[in-house]
Amino acid sequence: MAVAWIGDRDVPVAQAAKHAAGLLVSSLSPVFSFDTDVHGTRAAIALAERVGAAYDHIGGEALARETALFTDKGGMFTAPGETRRRADVVVIAGSLPAHHHEFVAELASTAPDLGGGASRQFFLIGAETKAPYLSKVKPMRLAVAGAGIDATLAALRAQCAGRGVAKPVSNFERFAKALAEAKFPVFLFCGQSLDLPGLDMLQGLIADINRKSRASALHLPASESGWGSTLASTWMTGFPMRTGFARGMPEFDPWCFDVARMIAAGEADLHVLISAKDRIVAAKGVSLIALAKSKKPIAGAAVTISIGEPGIDHDAVAWSSRVGTLAAVKAQAATDLPDAATVLRLIAEHLPDGKALPC
Amino acid sequence: MLTRIKGGEIVDPVNGRLGKGDLWIEDETIVEAPTGRRADRTIDAAGCVVMAGAIDIHSHIGGGNVNTARLLLPEHHAAHAPRPAETPLSNAGWSTFQTGCLYAKMGFTTVVEPAMSPGSALHTHLELADIPIIDKATLAILGNDDFLLSMIRDKASSQMIEDYVAWTVSSSRALGVKVINAGAAAAFKENVRTFSLDDVVPSYGVSSRKIVKTLQAAVTKLGIPHPLHVHCNNLGAPGAADTAAATIAAAEGVPLHLAHLQFYGYGTEGKRRFSSEGARLAELVNSTSEVTIDIGQVMFGQTVTISSDVMRQFTSRGTASPKKTVIFDGDGNGGGIVPYRYRDDFYGSVQWAIGLELFLLINDPWRVFFTTDHPNGAPFTAYPDLFALLMSRDARNAAAANLSQKALALTTLGSIDREYTFEEIAIMTRAAPAKLLGLKDRGHLGAGALADVAVYRKGKDIAQMFREAAFVIKNGEVVVEDGAIKNYRWGRALRLNPPPDKAMVRRLEAYHQDRYGLSLDWFDFPDSAIRRDEPFGEVSCNA
Repeated sequence: MAVAWIGDRDVPVAQAAKHAAGLLVSSLSPVFSFDTDVHGTRAAIALAERVGAAYDHIGGEALARETALFTDKGGMFTAPGETRRRADVVVIAGSLPAHHHEFVAELASTAPDLGGGASRQFFLIGAETKAPYLSKVKPMRLAVAGAGIDATLAALRAQCAGRGVAKPVSNFERFAKALAEAKFPVFLFCGQSLDLPGLDMLQGLIADINRKSRASALHLPASESGWGSTLASTWMTGFPMRTGFARGMPEFDPWCFDVARMIAAGEADLHVLISAKDRIVAAKGVSLIALAKSKKPIAGAAVTISIGEPGIDHDAVAWSSRVGTLAAVKAQAATDLPDAATVLRLIAEHLPDGKALPC
Repeated sequence: MLTRIKGGEIVDPVNGRLGKGDLWIEDETIVEAPTGRRADRTIDAAGCVVMAGAIDIHSHIGGGNVNTARLLLPEHHAAHAPRPAETPLSNAGWSTFQTGCLYAKMGFTTVVEPAMSPGSALHTHLELADIPIIDKATLAILGNDDFLLSMIRDKASSQMIEDYVAWTVSSSRALGVKVINAGAAAAFKENVRTFSLDDVVPSYGVSSRKIVKTLQAAVTKLGIPHPLHVHCNNLGAPGAADTAAATIAAAEGVPLHLAHLQFYGYGTEGKRRFSSEGARLAELVNSTSEVTIDIGQVMFGQTVTISSDVMRQFTSRGTASPKKTVIFDGDGNGGGIVPYRYRDDFYGSVQWAIGLELFLLINDPWRVFFTTDHPNGAPFTAYPDLFALLMSRDARNAAAANLSQKALALTTLGSIDREYTFEEIAIMTRAAPAKLLGLKDRGHLGAGALADVAVYRKGKDIAQMFREAAFVIKNGEVVVEDGAIKNYRWGRALRLNPPPDKAMVRRLEAYHQDRYGLSLDWFDFPDSAIRRDEPFGEVSCNA
C-alpha cells in the first residue's frame, strides 16, 4: 500500500520527505498546524524552529481561550481524582464536549468519600438539563433570562457577594444554600463554550468563595491532544501554542501566530498539516504538506505522507482529562504506518544542515 | 579515547588531591595516569581550577508545576538576552533545552528536581528528558496522599508503609522521597489555613510530625541513600525558625534533610517583627550531626515561586508580582505558582542576609548544600554571583552597602569573616551532594569515577569564573568550551529501583479501582514512553 505521494504520484516515504524539506527550505513563511500526541508535537515544534515556522493546533480557538486564562490570569484548579473523591457540589459552567461526558456521568453515579461531603449535587450554568450523561442526577439550572453564560456567571458572582443585580439568577437560593453547606464545590469548565470574560468571571467567583471556604475548578480541555501539545510547547520553547520562529527565536503571540488567521490573511505560503484524525482540506493559495492517515493523496496537497493515529496505530503519550496529566497509551491495533514524529524527523534530515531533530 | 587535562589546579577533596597536576580520562571514565601511552587529546588547563562536575540537589527544573509557571508567565521571556544559535532550541527562553545548556556552562553535570508528584511522573520525566547534556533525578512527593495518611491513621504495619514508599519510588522512577508541609495540603482541602508540626490533619487524626517520622523511618529502612527530604511547615512565616528548630529536634539521631532553610530563618524581633534567626538555626545544625540542609538563598530581582506547599502558596497570593497566580489542589499535594520580585528593601535584605548567615555559620560544608531553591529564591543562573559572595568578604560588604542597614543590623552577617575556599566549594557542590544522594560514580575525580569534569579559568572575577567554564566534560565528552556549548548530548534520569511488593501492588490496584475508577496502569508507563535511548540510570539502595 502506498503511503506517500508527491502530488498524485505515489513515491517512497523518503522521497516524499525530501521533497517536503525542499518546499520548507524555499518557503518564506511556513506555518504548521497539528492534532497529534506529545511526541508528534515535540518533533513538529523542533522542525518548525529549524525552518522558522509558526505553529498552532488545528482549530485552536477554544484552546487559545483556555491558554489565555493561564497566561493572563491564572486561577484555582483541581484534579479529576480529587473532584471524584471530594466534590460535593459540581457546577458545570457551559456545555462540555462529548469526550468529557463519560467522566461527568461517573461523577453523577458516585459520591464523595473524602472531606466529609456525603452526597453530590449538580448545578448547570447555561447547559442542557436533560442530557443523557446527566440522567442519574437532577441538575438544577442557573440562568438569567435572556443572558448568555458569561452574563449569568457575572450575575451569579454578584449575587454570591451580596450585590444587587438587574436580573436575578434562577434557583439562586438553592445554589447559595448548597454552597454554604458544601465542603468542596468544583466548577467544571471548558474553553469551548466560555469566552475569556466568562473564564475570568468563573475564577473570580471561585476566588471569592475561597475567602472563607474552599472551592476549585476542573479544567476539561476542548481538545485533549491540544492541551498535551500546549504543555509540550511550553516546556520546549517556554511558550504555549501560537508561537513563531520567524525571527530565529520563539515568540508567543496568540493573534499574530493564529495559523488559521495567517492562512486566511495570505500571510503564509506553505502549510504543514498533521492529523491522523481530521479530514484534511487544502487551503487555497497555500502549498500543503499533509501528514494524514490516508490511503490516497490529499486533494491539492504538494506532498502527502500517511501516518498512523496515536494510540491506535502506535503507542503514544497524550493528555488524559480522566487522570489530569500526560499518560502512556498503548496502540489499540498496531500497524506499520509511521508516526508523525518519525516522518517529521525524516523531513528534517533532508534540510540543508542535515542535523537530526532533538526530539 | 584517552584524554589528558594538563597542568590544572586539581581540587578533589574526596581523594585528597589538591594542587597542580594532570587528570586522565579514558572514554567515559577517569583513570590513573597511564604509563607508556600518549593522550589522544590534551586539554590545556594551565591557570585553571579542575573540579568534578557540580551537582545541584534542589532545583525545580521540570514537571507540572514548573511548566505551569512557564505557562503563567510568557512575559518572563522578554527579559532573556539573545541566545546562541548553535544548538537545537537553544534560542528558546525558559525552556527545558536552555536549562541544560545554562547549567552545563556553569560546570553542573547533575541536577535534582526535588518535587515530583508521583501521579505526574511521566510528564516530569518527559520534561527532564528534553533537558540536554546533564543528568537529572527526581524526588517523589509523599505525605499528603490519602493512601499514606489512611495507612498511618489505621495503624498499618511499618512493612506495609515501606512497601508503599518502595512502590512509589520505583514506579515514579525517583531517587528519593520528599515530604512537603506534611499533611497541610490535605488539611487545606478541608479549609484549614495554617498548619504546624503538631497540628492534626482533619479526617485522619494524624499529626504532621507523625507523617514526617513515618516517612523518615520508611526511607531509612528501605536503604534509600538520600535521607527524607523535608519541606517544613510554616514556610516563610515570621517565627518559622521555631518550626524548623522543632523539626531539626525531631530528627532524633536519624538522617534528615531540611530543604531551603533560609525560608525558615525568620524571627519576630524589631519594629517590623521580622528579623534573622540565621545564627540560631546554624548553631542548631552545627550541633545536630544527623541533619543536612540546603539554603534557598535569596538574590534580588524578578522570579517566580513554585511550590507544592499549596497552603503556603495560597496564603501568599496577595504578594504576587505580577498579579496572577495558579493554585492547584492536586491528588496529594498539588501546588502553587506565585510570581515574586525580591526587592532590596527591609524584608528582602533580611532574607538575603539569612541565607548567607546559614552558609557561613554552618561549619561543615559536607552538611550544607548550595541552592537558591530555583526559581524560588532566585534563578539558578544567579549561582556565580552567589559563589562570589561566599568566597569574598569584600564582595559581601560591597553588596551589603547598598541594602537596608536597619535590616542588616538585625543579622550577624556584618561580623562574619569567613571566606569559602575552592576546597569547600568542591565539597559543598560536588563531594557532599554525591554522598548525600548515594551517587558513588560522581562528585570526585578518583580513578573509576564518571568523567564529569568542570575546568574553570581562575581570575579575580569569581562570578565570571563560575559563569562560563573553560571546559566542561560530561561522560568523557567535551560539552562546553570557553563558556559555549560545543556538544549536544542527552543525559539520563537517575533512579532507584526497589522491587515492588506484589501484595502492595494488588492492594493499590484495588484502591485505585475503588476510589478513582481507574486501573493502576494509568499511573505507570514503560520506559519507551520517554523516546530516548536509555532514559534512566539506576542507582543502588544501601544494603
